[in-house]
Amino acid sequence: MVYLPPPDISRNRPSYAEAYGKILKAHRESPLTSASSVIMLVAPDVDALCAARMMAELFRQDDVIYRIMPISGIAELERVRDELITYNELHTLILFNMGGILDLPSSEWFGDFRPGMSVHVIDSARPQNLSSLFGGGENGERIIVWDDGSAERLAEERKAWEALMYEPEPDSDEDDSNYDSEDGFNESLEEDADEEFEEGSSGGRKRRSLGDGNRKGKRRRTSEDHPRRMSRDERDAHMARLEKHYMAGTWHGQCASGTIYVLATLLERADIDLLWFAVLGLTFQYTTSRISRDKYDDYQSIYSDEVVRLSPPLPPGERNTASSNPDDHGIRTTDELRFMLYRHWTLYDAMFHSSYVAGKLGIWKERGRKKLTGLLAKMGFSIPQTQQPYPHMDMDLKRSLVQKLDDIAPEYGLIELSYPSFMKCYGYQSQPLSAADAVEGVSALLDLAGGVKMEVEVEGSRNGGEWFGGGKVWEIHGLSTKRRWAVEEDRENIPPNGQNTTVASNVKKTEGENNADGAKKEVAWWIRNFWVAFDALADIEALKHSLNLSMTLHRAIIRQGTSIIDKQDIRTMRNHRVVVLTQGPDLPLFSHPGVLSRLALWLVDALRDKLPGKVVSTRTKRKSLPFVVACLNEASNLYIVVGVMAATDFGDVRKNEFGLAFLDAKERCNARTRHSSFDTSILEINQADLPVFLETLCEGSGY
Amino acid sequence: MSLPQSLRTSITPPELEFIASQQLIEIIPLIAMEKTAFISGAFGPLQPPRRAKTPLWMAINLKLKKKCHIVAPEWLSVEFLQSRLDEELSEPGYSRLPFRYAEVSKVLLDVASDDIQSTDKIRSLLKDLREARQAKSREGLEELNRSELSLSNLSSMEINEIRPFFVHAMGILTHLHRDASTED
Repeated sequence: MVYLPPPDISRNRPSYAEAYGKILKAHRESPLTSASSVIMLVAPDVDALCAARMMAELFRQDDVIYRIMPISGIAELERVRDELITYNELHTLILFNMGGILDLPSSEWFGDFRPGMSVHVIDSARPQNLSSLFGGGENGERIIVWDDGSAERLAEERKAWEALMYEPEPDSDEDDSNYDSEDGFNESLEEDADEEFEEGSSGGRKRRSLGDGNRKGKRRRTSEDHPRRMSRDERDAHMARLEKHYMAGTWHGQCASGTIYVLATLLERADIDLLWFAVLGLTFQYTTSRISRDKYDDYQSIYSDEVVRLSPPLPPGERNTASSNPDDHGIRTTDELRFMLYRHWTLYDAMFHSSYVAGKLGIWKERGRKKLTGLLAKMGFSIPQTQQPYPHMDMDLKRSLVQKLDDIAPEYGLIELSYPSFMKCYGYQSQPLSAADAVEGVSALLDLAGGVKMEVEVEGSRNGGEWFGGGKVWEIHGLSTKRRWAVEEDRENIPPNGQNTTVASNVKKTEGENNADGAKKEVAWWIRNFWVAFDALADIEALKHSLNLSMTLHRAIIRQGTSIIDKQDIRTMRNHRVVVLTQGPDLPLFSHPGVLSRLALWLVDALRDKLPGKVVSTRTKRKSLPFVVACLNEASNLYIVVGVMAATDFGDVRKNEFGLAFLDAKERCNARTRHSSFDTSILEINQADLPVFLETLCEGSGY
Repeated sequence: MSLPQSLRTSITPPELEFIASQQLIEIIPLIAMEKTAFISGAFGPLQPPRRAKTPLWMAINLKLKKKCHIVAPEWLSVEFLQSRLDEELSEPGYSRLPFRYAEVSKVLLDVASDDIQSTDKIRSLLKDLREARQAKSREGLEELNRSELSLSNLSSMEINEIRPFFVHAMGILTHLHRDASTED
């Protein structure tokens, strides 16, 4: 059995709990058990982080020793795989949010590992590779895909795939797709992305590799001369079916942390902490537009039932927004407003920086800003009040905020401003933290904790304050005392009140670029970010600290976004819109794929009403808003390109077809590209090839 | 001995906590375990839902893995501590408390706060108790007598607190007394 259905669908078939039991059994019975027996490979996004954390907790309770390795992209995965094949004691490999699209039973990935080893894939990205799902045999049996029920509906695809797989004698002109091994910043980066769409497995069969550059001209050879048990039509039908499965674009299923939560429930070990991580994974998927509002509502109602089930009952009349006692670490359901981090900076800022409000009111123009203050005034909030940090606002204003918004905001076109969500209490240690804020903080840490110098505003420094304002450089919470560098570059710029934090001396946060200290081991910036974010998931102080970073990030996104819209930098191609960033103060910031995706999403949200949707896909007739954003990374002369396919309605999502479009364009213009992350709609391309690439992208079939 | 300077004066509180963790405590196990031999003795069998007595360290370990519920000892309750606090405030001597109450209560409140009733009240009571007793110790130290001192009902943490100063002071007092008597 290669894929695991979720427990409500599987009656007699093994499900998650059995797979988990298998891991435990292998761990306890294997004589070679050591620290590397169970390894978890984790992709760098919030959902995978939460899932890994939950799994780690379950393992810890069962006394299983595990190891977590962060993996940033396919290249890294290949490298790690080569290393892992040498480990004798490895018997379980768990992949979080990666590998769903890869053909895992093939010898290129995990086919050559020893038979006792099993690979569990918990990936929210769809579509998934059919041979990983359905492949049988020795190689196939060891790949276990934890599915959320969508694989059940792939019965047709399964038939088609099996028909094509087990067809009788191949002809001699079978196409072997070549896998160039790809390393680092090598220029010949052709086929690394092709494996994702490979659907064949062990050799001798006709394969159809989609998007392979070399074989552009070789289509399926005619084979009327060979006697076949399947007619041409049937074969075509099967092929078409498979093609439809893979070519429909990418979308997301149940979040990985949700899957692990289901496992915990099966094992009857679900508790509030695990539920919180599942909530974070779900909120991440919603706020980054990976799932639609409807699906979010479904999951949210399930989780709020769980909250009721797992929490001790609240005494009646208890106010829902504060911890009731110092040991209260529970979760409460609340309605979350769509403003970015609104509990942590001023109300005006929060509304200003949220992409939904920005779009509806047109924040980048002066007129829009006036509209915003007008709206706030109508609700009864005076300007000084809205410029106060939220915790200092008047209590009655805070209480009436949601109500007033519901009443008055529709006049400005702002509907659906709140959505049901959760927040976690931390006893008396701090104010309760909402899920959306936590997700923002953690993803800011993942993107930016190290490697880019970010200046953070000091509270009270605005409006002249007491001192002359200014910022201080953000440093990782708790790490600062260890780094007393002699570098004094910014010493002049510390404002007089910049010393009121725990750090006495100035710290230059350049861990990613280890310039002075040769004795320190060089660690890739994303690995460091990963661990900082991982630790922050459980540490409320670090998480609150990271919110400052997130705010700075949002400011930068707004700056860049408004300048793009002001300068009318958006070029409209035949089927999509392109923005290319080549200069600006924040350029190094936007050369991170995560940050660039956020900018793309912001632009889409902001311009949703101003731009008409286009019917882009050849499959459905629904309109969508395709957007491509490219940013120059000056240091390495590469452009990072992100493609976003947004829906015309707020709260809806479309399948992202840019992954395929990029591959298509790349093969046609022979650009040198690289996929640096697991998301196929993010691409790195050589500087010189960008213009040609963008042109071919337009000419592409439907894109 | 090769301890660093800071550790040579007395035992540290974590060490006291470690020693206190050997006490037996009652738990309600959620998993089954046979009678197993450990270094300090044989414990078990654990048969849910019957209660069992295990050392505190084992109870904490199981609790962290969510495999048991801890039954709070009867002195860790609001009524008991309240009555002791009243006694403390009214009488000059120290009231009777379990010898290692500070360590055990800290550990239990950290790990098993959901198994104990009204933890915030208990925390405040414990704090009050500590402050009351500390006040008494401070007064008592002024009447330091070189030959004998009897302080009954002090708990192990409090003894540990006083010990370095006390030993040193007694030594000096003896010294002074000896010098004084030789001069006569």
